[in-house]
Amino acid sequence: MGQVLVIGLVEGTLFGLLAVGITLIYRGTGSINFALGEIGTFGLYVAWWLTIDRGLPWIVGAAGAVAVSVALSLAFERLVVRPMKVRSPLAISVATVGLLTALLSFEFQKFGESPREVPVPIHGLGVRIAGVNVSPTQLLSLGVVAAIALGLGQFLRRTDFGLGVLAAAQDPDATRLVGVPLRRVTAFVWGAGGAVAALAALFVAPTVGVLTPGFASTHLFVVALIAAVVGGLSSLQGAFVGGLALGVLKSGVLRVFSESALPGKEYLVYLAIGVAVLLLRPDGILGAPRLRGAT
Amino acid sequence: MATPLLQVEDVTTGFGSSQVLHGVTFTVAEGEIAGVFGLNGAGKSVTMKTIAGLVPTWSGRISFAGEDITTMDAEDRVVLGMSHVPQGRQVFPALTVDENLRLGAYTSRRRDRAGYAARLDRVLTQFPILADRRTQLAGTMSGGQQASLAVGRALINEPRLVLIDEPSAGLSPTVVSELLEILGQVAASGVTMVLVEQNISFGLKLAHVAHLMQSGQVVHSGPVAELDQQRLAEHLGVGRMLGASTGSALASRRRPARGSNGAAPR
Amino acid sequence: MTPTVPMTPTVWLRYLGVLLVAVSAPVLLGEMGVLNDTRALVLGEAVALAIAALSLNVLMGYAGQISLGHFALLGIGAFVSSKVTAPSAGNPVALPFVVGLVAATGAGGVVAFLIGLPALRLRGLYLAVVTIVFNFVMVQSLFQSSWLSSGSGGVELPRPLIGSFDFVRNADYLAVLLAVLVLVWLIDANLSASKLGRAFHAIRSDETMAASFGVDVTRYKLMAFTISGALAGLAGALYGHLFTFVNSGTFDLTQSLFLLTLVVIGGLGSRAGVVAAALLYGVLDFVLGEVFGADVAGWVVFGSALLLMFTIAQHATGLAGAIRDARERRNERSVHVAAITPQMVDLPRPTGLPARVSASSTDGPLLAVRGVTVDFGGLRAVDDVSIDVPTGRIVGLIGPNGAGKTTLFNAISGALRPDAGHIELLGRDLSGTPAHVRAAAGIGRTFQMIGLATDLSVTENMLLAQHQVATYGPLESLAGLGRAPRIEAEMRQRANDAIEALGFARYADTPVKNLSHGQQRIVEIGCALVTAPELVMLDEPSAGMAPGAVENLAVRLRDIRDELDRTVLLIEHNIPLVLDVCDEIYVLANGALIAHGLPDDVVARPEVIEAYLGAAI
Repeated sequence: MGQVLVIGLVEGTLFGLLAVGITLIYRGTGSINFALGEIGTFGLYVAWWLTIDRGLPWIVGAAGAVAVSVALSLAFERLVVRPMKVRSPLAISVATVGLLTALLSFEFQKFGESPREVPVPIHGLGVRIAGVNVSPTQLLSLGVVAAIALGLGQFLRRTDFGLGVLAAAQDPDATRLVGVPLRRVTAFVWGAGGAVAALAALFVAPTVGVLTPGFASTHLFVVALIAAVVGGLSSLQGAFVGGLALGVLKSGVLRVFSESALPGKEYLVYLAIGVAVLLLRPDGILGAPRLRGAT
Repeated sequence: MATPLLQVEDVTTGFGSSQVLHGVTFTVAEGEIAGVFGLNGAGKSVTMKTIAGLVPTWSGRISFAGEDITTMDAEDRVVLGMSHVPQGRQVFPALTVDENLRLGAYTSRRRDRAGYAARLDRVLTQFPILADRRTQLAGTMSGGQQASLAVGRALINEPRLVLIDEPSAGLSPTVVSELLEILGQVAASGVTMVLVEQNISFGLKLAHVAHLMQSGQVVHSGPVAELDQQRLAEHLGVGRMLGASTGSALASRRRPARGSNGAAPR
Repeated sequence: MTPTVPMTPTVWLRYLGVLLVAVSAPVLLGEMGVLNDTRALVLGEAVALAIAALSLNVLMGYAGQISLGHFALLGIGAFVSSKVTAPSAGNPVALPFVVGLVAATGAGGVVAFLIGLPALRLRGLYLAVVTIVFNFVMVQSLFQSSWLSSGSGGVELPRPLIGSFDFVRNADYLAVLLAVLVLVWLIDANLSASKLGRAFHAIRSDETMAASFGVDVTRYKLMAFTISGALAGLAGALYGHLFTFVNSGTFDLTQSLFLLTLVVIGGLGSRAGVVAAALLYGVLDFVLGEVFGADVAGWVVFGSALLLMFTIAQHATGLAGAIRDARERRNERSVHVAAITPQMVDLPRPTGLPARVSASSTDGPLLAVRGVTVDFGGLRAVDDVSIDVPTGRIVGLIGPNGAGKTTLFNAISGALRPDAGHIELLGRDLSGTPAHVRAAAGIGRTFQMIGLATDLSVTENMLLAQHQVATYGPLESLAGLGRAPRIEAEMRQRANDAIEALGFARYADTPVKNLSHGQQRIVEIGCALVTAPELVMLDEPSAGMAPGAVENLAVRLRDIRDELDRTVLLIEHNIPLVLDVCDEIYVLANGALIAHGLPDDVVARPEVIEAYLGAAI
């Protein structure tokens, strides 16, 4: 039980982190960035190149990963989203599918299907919590995610620009009319999405062990997407809580059905949760009921 | 004569293929309260959005404080000293009163953070109701309180011009009278305002100068004191309503032909 | 959108001819040795991809919904067909190939229906979310399970055996694939020429507008996905029998994403475009691979993805759009020029419209609105409003901006659900029924701002407006048989009559977006009338009309009442027009009813003048 909880929480925080990224972009643009996971994978390949291939320290690889992922997100916003003739949420979402396909095929072409070793920040035995061995990487992961989640929350509430980001999600025109530069808000939202994607990918990598094209889409993004739906695609807290819940659920399912020969059982659970939320609480577990007549 | 604070010259605009403004011209002097009045579809709100920079102009010129702002971003116009009380849901409902006010001061806080406390103090003194509710979410306040917040948020920047778009729209009569009082106070403090209203009696109580709009044009500009109901009705295109003879010829020409129709009660 | 051609004997013959060529050409070329096994396999894959692209196009191009997991549906088809046709331990009786195809088609449809059910009730991107997760579920889990597959090892799919003829040679199997492609093309063509195609298109343009034309939006979105899923299942089975072996990896998410890329590049909504894109890719991939090696060919997917982003950013319509634009620039210049001229035709005297939906022989009013209240958040938009609209009258609904007139219209037509109150038409309580039920019951309306499917032609809008009287079923739509051709012909006749009467014959095939604002308003009124409703609700018909046209409008509104015996409920800001045509008027202010009576009396009342101009000036 303790083991299920600890493993689940470690992974769940990462699902939650990426879910927050998805929700941030959804609130800012009305669209889902389907490439968000793969932006993280791409960063991870950069980290692999810097650390495993070039032999630089982990922190350099991590910085490189975050920098490249942020740059990729910003470039997409600047070169594809902003010049759009008709900038509808549907069009933006389809364009992110294009980015996802481009990144995947680039990775296949450049790195092939053969798995790569992933960079690990700290080696060592770690500590025992509730009878479970927690690796130093997992501890670091918990610490970093907690710091980011708290930091982001503080940034959004405490700074004027952060308030502008929250306000823009409620009413973009009114936000412009108090003088908040909407373009910078939009750029921030995409950039922050890229950063959390890289971080989530970096910390989930040691758990999975090997890096292949589609890595973060398969292991992180699908789950985070459902977590974001659990949060109603509107609540940052809801998305994070959804991620935690899915993390625990995943480790629970893998534990309880460890005898079953069926591969990928956890994906069935994700789909079931997603469908259940859409049927029962489409506004999310923490989401406010939709305004009536808003159609 | 001094240069007017706001000059709107022959502005046209629209959406897609349909033109909404067909050459709007008026000026607003420093310290003046200008009312822009008209019925639905006259182009009042679009005029306001064009001045604010939310709707691009097709042709014509808008200048503010001597500067040509025709193609300037909405955000930059705020920096120049324009403030807005937008139509509809006027405040950010999921933010607190304090946060709304802080956002209102977004541009001035960047320039002069130290002075914010004093500006906030002034607004809270002017609107004591806000002082009691600084941590309350704006969306949970009453209509009148939200209106106070919207006006306070516009004033906290100490703007040179406040644009107020249909403040009374969708508010209950009690809230409208509260709002009138608030805006009356503000007006007394000498701030220049442009007020767009469909509720004309409301607007006339505040404005010094009226600009009457019909079909995307300003058809009459003049001091409010010189307006009477007859002239108002005439310029707004509802002359027939008051039995005036400004109605179209079509009514008088068509009616006799239909007199024999049993379906019509007349 | 592809022009819609009704099925005539000539068209049937043409399809038969194409089918013969499609079947005989590969067989002959195979005999001659031109089409060797490698080439036939490449072409075969391209054709299977083309069928898959057509399937996704039904969902995305026609109905505007995104599936990111289409290859999972292809996988369902392949695995099911394998179960049915391949002899194995659990399946001692191997059934024929055709049974496999039918089972695959059915399974694809059923699964799509089940996935679509939770996602498509909601607006937005939920189908994309559910399908991408579904693709992962299938590939990571179920396609590797022992009851669908033999673990990750995959399954066998035998080539068809008809009599003693074995389609083991790829060229021969290519003939089968091409025959199915022609068949799917035919089904697709029927679909887009039917009420299904128009309903899908309307949903893609604007769900509220679609509902106003009487389209049950959720049901039709689900239908689009079910049809799309069935075709995907078919494509998957064909694909599997081509390679004779599939495993979970065959249907990876990357395949689904690439399929979507092809459909967007080919041109959303264009049959020819998406088929061309699929075939072009298949050939290009092969040729580049032969000339430069597989490594270079791999970059084609990358290039396609960039092209997808470019196409979306430019709001372009892909290959098909590029070709069509070039052709239009040559041919249709005259139409565009005419459209720019703000010419206002006379509203015609409406004649030849179909019989009314229901008979009006009750004592009460035609429409009775009782105590309707609508709240938006904390704001009461409509406050306990009751109005009667007597049969055969023109009733005006006026009031200042924000009075709640359009909101009341929405409550009456079912575009929104009021918080309290009843709506009765001819004594029948319609409260709580969705918009399309009310449209069928005899309420026709125009919308301010969102009246028409602007990408569709005038004719197609008039056909869309008759959605409710198109009583044939979805299968008849797909087959182009049964009642479909006759009913479609009648509808087309009515549309043509109405267009003729409107004086729009020249613009019949012109997309509505190319008409002037005033012309669009006339088409809207025509659409409200062509459904033959008992009650016609017009929301500011004079908005944007030139003064001369407004005069004309007054005459036509009376014609609607006197010549057609219809009842009109009219929102108008043009006071002279209201005073001229209305038999009685209601005045709304701040959501509440403040006056009712004869027009001249009502507008002279102080409270009405106050509502408009304010008191005591």
